[in-house]
Amino acid sequence: MNRLHNAFTLFLSLLVEAMPFLLIGVLLSSCLLFLIDEKQLITRLPKNPFLGSIVGSCIGFLFPVCECGNIPVARRLLLKGVSPSVTISFLLAAPTINPIVIWSTWVAFGNQPQIVIFRVLFSLAIATIVGCVFSTQKDAKLLLQNSFARRFNSDLYSQPEKSQSSSPLLQSGSFILDGGQVLPFNNSLLLDPAQSQSSLQFKWQSFVDNLLQEFSELGGMLVLGSAIAAMIQVFVPRELVLTLGQDTITSILAMMLLAVIVSICSTVDSFFALSFASSFTSGSLLAFLVLGPTIDIKSIGLMASIFKPKIIIYIFTIVAQLTFIFTLIYSYFS
Amino acid sequence: MTPANSRKFKPRKPKNKLLCSWLDGLALLTWGILLLKYAVTGQYKLLIHPNYYGLVLASSILLLALGIFKIQLILTHSRQSTSEHIALFPSGFSSGLLIWIAIAGLLIPPKILTSQSALKTGVRDIPLTRSQPQAFRTATKPEERSLIEWIRTINAYPEPDAYAGQTANVSGFVLHLDELPDNYLMLSRFVITCCAVDAYPIGIPVKLETSHNSYPPDTWLKIKGEMITENLSVKEQANSKTMTGKRSLVLAAKSIESIPTPADPYSYQ
Repeated sequence: MNRLHNAFTLFLSLLVEAMPFLLIGVLLSSCLLFLIDEKQLITRLPKNPFLGSIVGSCIGFLFPVCECGNIPVARRLLLKGVSPSVTISFLLAAPTINPIVIWSTWVAFGNQPQIVIFRVLFSLAIATIVGCVFSTQKDAKLLLQNSFARRFNSDLYSQPEKSQSSSPLLQSGSFILDGGQVLPFNNSLLLDPAQSQSSLQFKWQSFVDNLLQEFSELGGMLVLGSAIAAMIQVFVPRELVLTLGQDTITSILAMMLLAVIVSICSTVDSFFALSFASSFTSGSLLAFLVLGPTIDIKSIGLMASIFKPKIIIYIFTIVAQLTFIFTLIYSYFS
Repeated sequence: MTPANSRKFKPRKPKNKLLCSWLDGLALLTWGILLLKYAVTGQYKLLIHPNYYGLVLASSILLLALGIFKIQLILTHSRQSTSEHIALFPSGFSSGLLIWIAIAGLLIPPKILTSQSALKTGVRDIPLTRSQPQAFRTATKPEERSLIEWIRTINAYPEPDAYAGQTANVSGFVLHLDELPDNYLMLSRFVITCCAVDAYPIGIPVKLETSHNSYPPDTWLKIKGEMITENLSVKEQANSKTMTGKRSLVLAAKSIESIPTPADPYSYQ
């Protein structure tokens, strides 16, 4: 009973520390969705696969969303003509390379700044490498889920600006509205009513809806993650944790496994990692912080709505291996 | 994430939808109340570093405002969004969970970490972090140093002999270590860097005239005495089994006073 009360206290402490950051995260991600013009952004993306991947990784700074928020953004980017490889870079890096996550990591690991720095560097490197790997596959349809690829107009993809040409002729597949207005029938019409229905009331309503939905969804995830962290800390015998956590390789593997299972949001996962700071090597904490935001049970479910299962397995394998190698190198030099 | 183009699921029944809206609103409200309670009663000090007090207070106000706004929306039958979120949990599960936790948090007060947790973490005489002499204040009189100030000072200049003969006046809770002889106890405190999850105990060995059994673990004591150096057998590392003799600074107790558990039992970094 005593131990249960201890676990409950640790659990609450994680929640109370993380709640403000979760709130800031969902507030900002809801705000910026309405403030950032994605079309403008897409026209400025570099064509070179390497540069494209780097820029894709850094878009996260403009969309401070964690891994559950970035899937819808990635879908929109794809539908607006961003190449799948840049989108993959964005998907992998955005949950880590964004101001809120860097701030919360700093709060948790301010006394070990190398963890904060290497978390950002490793995530950036992994996202860029994976982006480059997938840029060799030019046919987007081989990467994307069938149902999604059907909605993904290949003409739109190869020449994203074509549909906006100012030809006086009526484009095929256009609607003619009452007043003689012409409405082209393409994906942006189908999939982005938020932009066509731009009344302030609508925006405000969707802002609040989005905020509340994200808060309750991510909050539930945070509760489950914190419960796991607190229970491990209190109930798992310390000898077991230490034997696992003090060895360079097993500690990294254990934390990577934990990262995949515990689908805690990247805005607050550093607090989760903090509860292992006294018993696990810093290399393994880093492995958790790098791998967790990219791939976990929850995000695999979400990614399955975009990519073919085979591609998700590829992404997962490459990311996991790179994380392991990078953090192992870090362990030997730290 | 935008309601507009998230995956479409089967539309929920309106009644179910209304219930979910209520749960969402209540989850925000209960969490707002819980955080506000921690901020007002000072219990937040048992959970997180006081630096984040402002953050917690601001969040509680924001949550309350959002909760009231949401409930007002439901009551005025304002147009509910027809969109669906990419949901992993069944609808309402998440909010329900949040509400349960908040209610539990309101009913069960946070517990002060005890010697049991300290033994599990392993007492460090030297804090691992921020060992730079930033906190090294030679100006502080020895008898005015708190327990953590003593540890920092020793840490900045780890030569036991330099402190022998100085008077100390410190308070902390009692910890019994197996490796210490019967007439010794560890006067300890937890140090928090970020939140209770990373709390670790620090402590100074105290030499008693009687057996340490007269001071059960977790009693809070205020001890006055003189610093002496002694050879104590200590564990090489917090988790190792081998013992080595090490010359350590020990507080030879002259007066011991039992005090109630302080409202802020932790030290902060």
